[in-house]
Amino acid sequence: MELTGDLSFLHLISNASVLVQLVMGLLLAVSLLSWWYIFLKMFAIRRENRLTEEFEEEFWHNQNLNELFRYSNDGAWHDQGALERIFVAGFVEFVKLKKQQGMDASAVMEGTRRAMRATYQREMDRLESHLAFLASVGSVSPYVGLFGTVWGIMNAFRGLANVGQATLAHVAPGIAEALVATAMGLFAAIPAVVAYNRYAHDINRLATRFDSFTEEFSNVLQRQP
Amino acid sequence: MSTTFNYEPDQLQAGLLALAVHLVFFSLLYFGFAWQTQPVRTMSVDLWRSLPDVKVAPPQEPKAVEVTPPVQPVTPQPPAQPEKLVKPEIALPDKKMKKEPEPKPVAAEPEKKVEKKTAAEIRKERELELAIERERIAVEQAAQEAERAARARAEQDALEKAAQNAALDAMVNEYKAKIIAKIRRNIVKPPDVRDDARAEFRVTLLPGGTVLTAELKKSSGNAAYDNAVERAILKSQPLPLPADVALFNRFRVLLLVFRPVE
Repeated sequence: MELTGDLSFLHLISNASVLVQLVMGLLLAVSLLSWWYIFLKMFAIRRENRLTEEFEEEFWHNQNLNELFRYSNDGAWHDQGALERIFVAGFVEFVKLKKQQGMDASAVMEGTRRAMRATYQREMDRLESHLAFLASVGSVSPYVGLFGTVWGIMNAFRGLANVGQATLAHVAPGIAEALVATAMGLFAAIPAVVAYNRYAHDINRLATRFDSFTEEFSNVLQRQP
Repeated sequence: MSTTFNYEPDQLQAGLLALAVHLVFFSLLYFGFAWQTQPVRTMSVDLWRSLPDVKVAPPQEPKAVEVTPPVQPVTPQPPAQPEKLVKPEIALPDKKMKKEPEPKPVAAEPEKKVEKKTAAEIRKERELELAIERERIAVEQAAQEAERAARARAEQDALEKAAQNAALDAMVNEYKAKIIAKIRRNIVKPPDVRDDARAEFRVTLLPGGTVLTAELKKSSGNAAYDNAVERAILKSQPLPLPADVALFNRFRVLLLVFRPVE
């Protein structure tokens, strides 16, 4: 602990105690993972928005449901949007129920709605995956960083007890290296919280769109002869 | 279904982007932040400014050394002068020989032989003398050159020593600045000190940086400030000293000046 101590960044990290280093490593891993999810979700939601837009356009301009179904069912699974899958599931169920003899109209519609509901829930689950991780990173990682900092500062002060004359120069490096842990925790948490709020909002809007489409499509099916 | 259900199309891209974000963040931390504290360096800059003066003065002397070598070509001329001298000297006996035969043209043969012998002896003597002379000149030249070389070497040594001393001085001054900085940090300034107060202390150190005595040489006129400085000096033990023990002699007694305002 020199007067003009070398406070380089790497020096700070390599000088920290094992527990603080563990905390930093954990936070780095969590931060990497959460950023990975952030980008993954960003791409997924953007793609979902685009596909939903395209399909709604298609649906309202093309009133021939059979043709639309053939068109939608043709592509690979991952070329379809969530809305397209809801439509396919509903239409398949509707056609199956229609073929059965002795089914009244309300029962057919009920079955169709149930099928669409199931697909809708599955799709929502897929869209919301990893969001819980972002939420917990956002709320927990500051505490983890704080824990590392508290531990580091405790060590710094314990070291201070052995020195006869305590100066700020003795504690400063220890506190600085401890604070790196908090910085990393915040670095992991802030983007995660922002991303969580943003994506939760986006997914809510998508869910509303899916819901209203389900209702509208039910109406369209009910009008079918 | 589960494999396709977890399908994420941009996994690799997202991973690369996440890595990029972290790289940017850490490079910002690493390069964009002054992690070094360097309060003492500013003092050492001033000291280096004084160094070139020390260095500039000696180079003038080497020039003087370089000027003298042109004198050397002049000294080789002396060997030429003796040669010129030799000819007349040799010519003289010839004249004698010519003169002598004239008075005694007859029966001069034995004398001639004697004279020839003497002429030969004289010639030999002359040659000997010449050789001695040349040798002497050569020796003188060698001595001169040796002397000159010695002088040049001495000057070079002096230069090197000066440079070394300058480096040492720089280090000593750097550490003095460190010592003053450390003490200054510990000064608890009393409230009513005038800005132009100036306290001089004579500090005697022990190896290891322990303060043996801190004696007030010149009071600042404010006893409270003097006391504060003295307390700070004692509080700052051990004072920072260079690792080289040989340098300690230059730190044994320090004359430190403290002003409330830097």
